[in-house]
Amino acid sequence: MRELFNDILRIDGVKGVLLLSFSGKPIFKEFTYALKEFPEKFDWRALMEPLAGMRETDLIFEKGRVYIRRTGLGYLIILTGLFAPVAILRLNCDILMPSLVPSKRPSVWGRFLRKSER
Amino acid sequence: MIKNVLIVDDDKEMLLALREGFKRYQESFAVILAEDGLRALERLKRNVISLVVTDLKMPRMDGFELLAHIMEHYPDIPVIMITGYSTPEMERLAREGGAVGYISKPFLIENLARQIIATLRRESEGGTLHNVSSGMFLQLIEMEQKTCTIRLEEKISGQKGILFFREGDLLDARVNNLKGEAAAYKIFSWDEVNLSIQNGCALTENKIRKDLQPIILEAMRQKDETAPEEILGGVNEDAANIPMPRAQEAPKPINTIKEKINKAVGLACGLEDIYQDNSWDDHLKRLSRIGDFFGIGKLTLGYVSKGEANDYIVLPKDGPTIIAVNPRCPRDKIIQVLSE
Repeated sequence: MRELFNDILRIDGVKGVLLLSFSGKPIFKEFTYALKEFPEKFDWRALMEPLAGMRETDLIFEKGRVYIRRTGLGYLIILTGLFAPVAILRLNCDILMPSLVPSKRPSVWGRFLRKSER
Repeated sequence: MIKNVLIVDDDKEMLLALREGFKRYQESFAVILAEDGLRALERLKRNVISLVVTDLKMPRMDGFELLAHIMEHYPDIPVIMITGYSTPEMERLAREGGAVGYISKPFLIENLARQIIATLRRESEGGTLHNVSSGMFLQLIEMEQKTCTIRLEEKISGQKGILFFREGDLLDARVNNLKGEAAAYKIFSWDEVNLSIQNGCALTENKIRKDLQPIILEAMRQKDETAPEEILGGVNEDAANIPMPRAQEAPKPINTIKEKINKAVGLACGLEDIYQDNSWDDHLKRLSRIGDFFGIGKLTLGYVSKGEANDYIVLPKDGPTIIAVNPRCPRDKIIQVLSE
């Protein structure tokens, strides 16, 4: 999964990426600096209610920014510095969206046809 | 995004053979036919053409005249020339005239198709994006600040257009028979598009001479004016249905914010409404905890998009104050102004 986020992690000012399931469980995390505590210990479930119905959220804090994007798998949370190129970040997220969907198991017919093509 | 290839030849049998032969490549490009140079000019006016394949010897307007016209009026369109009377001198003239390819008859359709596909590939060398909202244009420009040619296709109508950027400036636009500012307004009024980016821009002259922001806002204004009343009614209804009850307005901070935005961004800043609303309190408190976890301090501003008629800028201090904005507003500029 890391490969999916490589382009985002390479953007100047991006400090980390966290993908949460819709129930608030961390699915993937990658940070370029040491966090005070593990993301698993934070109560992300408390955020699910305010995030419900939001397509994207850009939060500006005193010393950093957090960009949150709803995906097919859950919420993508990106931590950046205050001066990160947010337009590039948003564009990269747009590009990434089709990849962040639940994987479909091939149907019995699909598997059968694929085998018979060999 | 299927690209249009204009094939020009006075030999009708040749045209039909090419059309039949290119059916195999219909997922890569579509074919538009013209029987001579003058008819080709009409097709060029009415369609967004990605590439022209033209015969050299034709009545009324021959291939060289057509090539010269394309180089002058559509310098972004590559031209491949085909001829049954090839000489080294002709090939030299074609290349010097700007042709990207030169093929002698007889030729294999597959070879020509390969050359067409290779040339078309350059159109999207900078990337392709699907189902992009028109607000993305602004992001692209902000992001790229560079020289590129962007080809767009409106998702619903299938209309195609092209934008030329040099160092971030919009030089020209083209859609159907519209050019310049008028074409830019048309393109920027499209809601959802597929687009491909070509690095580089064949144009040098700036035919628009306006910043992108006023063009986008004017396009939105024109679109609103032409929208049927029922649709506008629907949008307002949606905005009114946002499940967040408004609290009593407090004029003083609101006026200050309004003045600040208008001063920095201008009156056409996409500002729809400003009000104070305590119902955001609980959500903001919870979102603020992210700042504690990452150690980045207190929440000073939030931008929320629900994919509705309006987006919201939320200022938690003294309020919270909610600023409803058009999703196509210069978002980063407004955030920057309010964060200062």
